[in-house]
Amino acid sequence: MAETNTTQPLQTVIVRIQRFNPDVDKKAHMQDFKVEVPAGITLLETLELIKNKMDGTLTYQKSCRHAICGSCAMNVNGKNMLVCKVPLRDVAKNGKVEVRPLQYVPIIKDLVVDRTSFWEQYERAKPWLVPPEQMPEKEFRVSPEEVHALNEAQSCIMCGACYTACTVVAFNKKYYGPAAMLKAYMRVMDPRDTIPGERLKEVGSEDGVFKCHTIFNCIDACPKGLNPTQAIETLRKLAQRRAAFEAERAERLKTIAEPIKK
Amino acid sequence: MYKNTGFISFVLRRFTGVFLVIYLAMHMFVIGSVNLGPAAFDARLALVQTNVFKILEIGLLAAVVYHAFDGVRLLMVHYFHLTNQRQSLFYAAFAIAALLTVAGGIPIILFAINGG
Repeated sequence: MAETNTTQPLQTVIVRIQRFNPDVDKKAHMQDFKVEVPAGITLLETLELIKNKMDGTLTYQKSCRHAICGSCAMNVNGKNMLVCKVPLRDVAKNGKVEVRPLQYVPIIKDLVVDRTSFWEQYERAKPWLVPPEQMPEKEFRVSPEEVHALNEAQSCIMCGACYTACTVVAFNKKYYGPAAMLKAYMRVMDPRDTIPGERLKEVGSEDGVFKCHTIFNCIDACPKGLNPTQAIETLRKLAQRRAAFEAERAERLKTIAEPIKK
Repeated sequence: MYKNTGFISFVLRRFTGVFLVIYLAMHMFVIGSVNLGPAAFDARLALVQTNVFKILEIGLLAAVVYHAFDGVRLLMVHYFHLTNQRQSLFYAAFAIAALLTVAGGIPIILFAINGG
């Protein structure tokens, strides 16, 4: 049992961790670690304690420790969350907590996953701003309402918690996923962007907004409390309007060269 | 698999959808036999007049009402920005479906018991 020197009250917790070493294991297995830790410790600090004092081979990802880099997103008791943000006492039910890597993406080792598909879809959504050729002399004037609309999507830290909670992603890796579509929404709603039509065409394609089954996992999984489902619903409406307009226009083009009937 | 009310509703929606497709195929199998003459139609109809099918009718009712109200729930989310009420809407759709299944299921059971 690992212990820490502290004056804080201690709690004994069994941390059940999914282990997988591609060099040795054919499939993942669970391993229990009994730890005695201060009551206020985070789950990430608990993992660090296990790594430093009990099993140095335990592998996980972390960086900022302030819930902003998104690298420590893991599946804890079946829910995706940032382990640097969550106190152990909040997730240790009956003295036990289960930690697994993010789902629906390949495991590299233990709790580290390969996020390649997530980043591919993110890049596909072209999350960058395409500004007008004529830049204003001083600044773009964006209304407070527009800024408010963009704030939510801008708060996304790209941890992949929503993507790896999405049931559609589980079955279809070509699907954009909630994070990429949240970014697409951000740019479509951005008054400075010059290609909203192109973006709507992209997200309105077969791998886009109409593939969403409105399961809401992305909202429940987001550690920042964002709402990708609402963004997808908004993009759906806009993509439908765009498709209807294109269809009307195509119909009109069929008759544009015809002589006027008398 | 990531489990919450959204996932449960998704599984139920798929399950009831498949169930309804199977029912539709069976329905066409029975009703379509009318083209083969009265004797063939009666024979096929007799196949689905058993108590097992009476119970399955309650399942059919449950599938229809759940699928319908789940669809209404999704339309409400789509048109009225109700993502924050997602859990309440799921429970409401489920409760309405359960209520209607009970209300419609009792006459089906009574009909099966008393005959007719």
